[in-house]
Amino acid sequence: MKFWLSLAWQSAWSRRQALALVTVSVAVSVLILLSVQQLREDARRSFSNALSGVDLIVGPRGSATELMLYSVFQIGRPSRNMGYNGFQEIQTMPQVRWAVPIQLGDTYQGHPVLGTTATLFTEFKSQGQGLTWAQGRAFGDPQQQAAALKEVVLGAEVARRFGHQLGDQLVMTHGSGGGPEDTDHEDQPLKVVGILQATGAPIDRSVLVNLETFEAMHQGWGLGISPKALQAAQASQAATLDPKDLQPVSLSAVWVGLHNRTEVFSVRRKIESFNQDPLMAVLPGVALDELWQVVKVVENSLVLVGGLVAASAMLSVAAVLLVAMAGRRKELAIMRAMGVAPRALLGYVLLESMLVCLLGIALGEFFSLGLMWGAQDLLRVQFGVLVQPGWPSQQAWLSLAALSAVAMLASVLPAWQAYRLSLMDGLHPPAV
Amino acid sequence: MPLALHLSELTHAWPGQAPLIHIPQLTLPQGQHLFIQGPSGCGKSTLLSLLAGVQQVQQGGCQVLGQNLSELPPIQRDRLRGEHMGVIFQQFNLLPFLDVAANALLPTRLFASRAAAASQVWGSPQAQAQALAERLGLPLSLWHQPVHQLSVGQQQRVAAVRALMGQPQLLIADEPTSALDDANQLEFLDLLLNTAEQQSASVVMVSHNARLADRFHQVYVWPTQEAA
Repeated sequence: MKFWLSLAWQSAWSRRQALALVTVSVAVSVLILLSVQQLREDARRSFSNALSGVDLIVGPRGSATELMLYSVFQIGRPSRNMGYNGFQEIQTMPQVRWAVPIQLGDTYQGHPVLGTTATLFTEFKSQGQGLTWAQGRAFGDPQQQAAALKEVVLGAEVARRFGHQLGDQLVMTHGSGGGPEDTDHEDQPLKVVGILQATGAPIDRSVLVNLETFEAMHQGWGLGISPKALQAAQASQAATLDPKDLQPVSLSAVWVGLHNRTEVFSVRRKIESFNQDPLMAVLPGVALDELWQVVKVVENSLVLVGGLVAASAMLSVAAVLLVAMAGRRKELAIMRAMGVAPRALLGYVLLESMLVCLLGIALGEFFSLGLMWGAQDLLRVQFGVLVQPGWPSQQAWLSLAALSAVAMLASVLPAWQAYRLSLMDGLHPPAV
Repeated sequence: MPLALHLSELTHAWPGQAPLIHIPQLTLPQGQHLFIQGPSGCGKSTLLSLLAGVQQVQQGGCQVLGQNLSELPPIQRDRLRGEHMGVIFQQFNLLPFLDVAANALLPTRLFASRAAAASQVWGSPQAQAQALAERLGLPLSLWHQPVHQLSVGQQQRVAAVRALMGQPQLLIADEPTSALDDANQLEFLDLLLNTAEQQSASVVMVSHNARLADRFHQVYVWPTQEAA
């Protein structure tokens, strides 16, 4: 076997240009397939883990997927709000260990501003890890000290991107920054008091302020008068704001953690039967599953395309080797003359095409590892996807096995041709 | 005395055509050389394929090295050829991706019995290959060259070394000299026949060149089309 392997290798090496090209084409196709699969799995895991520790997401009744997308991933925007009293009621429920209000709508340089409470910093978990501080501290409680109204905490990515340090003064923007009503809150600059460590969760790309701060920036708004016209009046008003008056009327969402996760369904039922306001309580896992159902079609078509590309690469290996076989009839005749049986020649050619395919597959796996290593920062920062480059997952192994099976099938074609030719030609191949 | 060949009423025809080969009787004692002379395209090469066991005997008796080829299954004919025969073509005998030494040693790598036979007589396959190369006038400096750097004459010598490795009893040569110039033809043929004789191997060679016939113990002149 070792002899045949070395013979097949030396024969292949003599035709290395063509074989190297098809090997690379196999490698690239494997790279595509594996990367798609890895991204799919890692995206799913990152999304799921971004929510770890949150047992329920509460918001106005509507689409569960939408609620989860805007409240957790800051994708899209809320179309309606829930009443603040709903939050107060949830807080008083005995089963609830913690509840964090989420207020959305403003941005800082395109990054969402989250109006919330300091409880978030102690309770929120991403990838099973609590939040830790790169610099500074959480914003204070405005009910205790009015200065906390001017404080802001930055996610790791926001701080990194703009090079912000503790003490920097930032101006938030109303809305996403592009619309006609989107005005800067120039009258309310905020001071950076803390910067969070990177987590891989969307919170890295967020700017966090107190709920009261959020409210203070919008005092007098929503009256149907252009903010510009009100600006002068507000400038004088802002300085005299009493934190006690800064309770919002409505919220975008509430994150809830329970003492006991098994009570999640009864708590949900209770929240959804509150009287004042039609509320919805969503189990993040269930909402994610719904989301995946939607995304699945796209995912599956990507994997399908990857699979087809891989299969076509294997076919190109078969085609190249099949064409090459015409030029190898003399080689086959020489082997026949030395007593090599046609069946052994079949194995000999099979060995070569499998060598090419397996080398391509291994190379593709190697490429994909390299790509994931190289792109992991970009993926985490741009897409919030925490990739874990490493040994192929079980699913990746399955597709590698499937690819090897296709490779085996494709290898049979040239091998069968070799068998046929060696029987037909015997010792006298046509001159080539 | 054992016979290298014993043919009787050997007949071979392509489907729907008149017989290409018809040999009523031909016997070659082991160690003697047979020259088969005839024009090209007359069926000589097919006869060699039959003798080498590559093609199935259709009709008649065909005993090679004591084996009745018409009764042997293909795999055993391949084995007989691999273990006990050497084949030399007109040209392009060598695998282009192996160097001279690897080409020469191929039979002993493919069949353990040939490696054993070479070791028994010469100490090792390498020793036999080098001794044969020396006898056939192949400089050892070429030993690790790629084969495409060799002249046609040198390539034929490597093919002869390979065919003689591991003490085969029968050498089958199909116009082995026709790619060589006249002076080289006779020199190569003499070396081949003498070396084979030293190893008690029979040589069966086909050629259109009648000038070579006097070197052989037996000559079989291919009958003309009318006679066939």
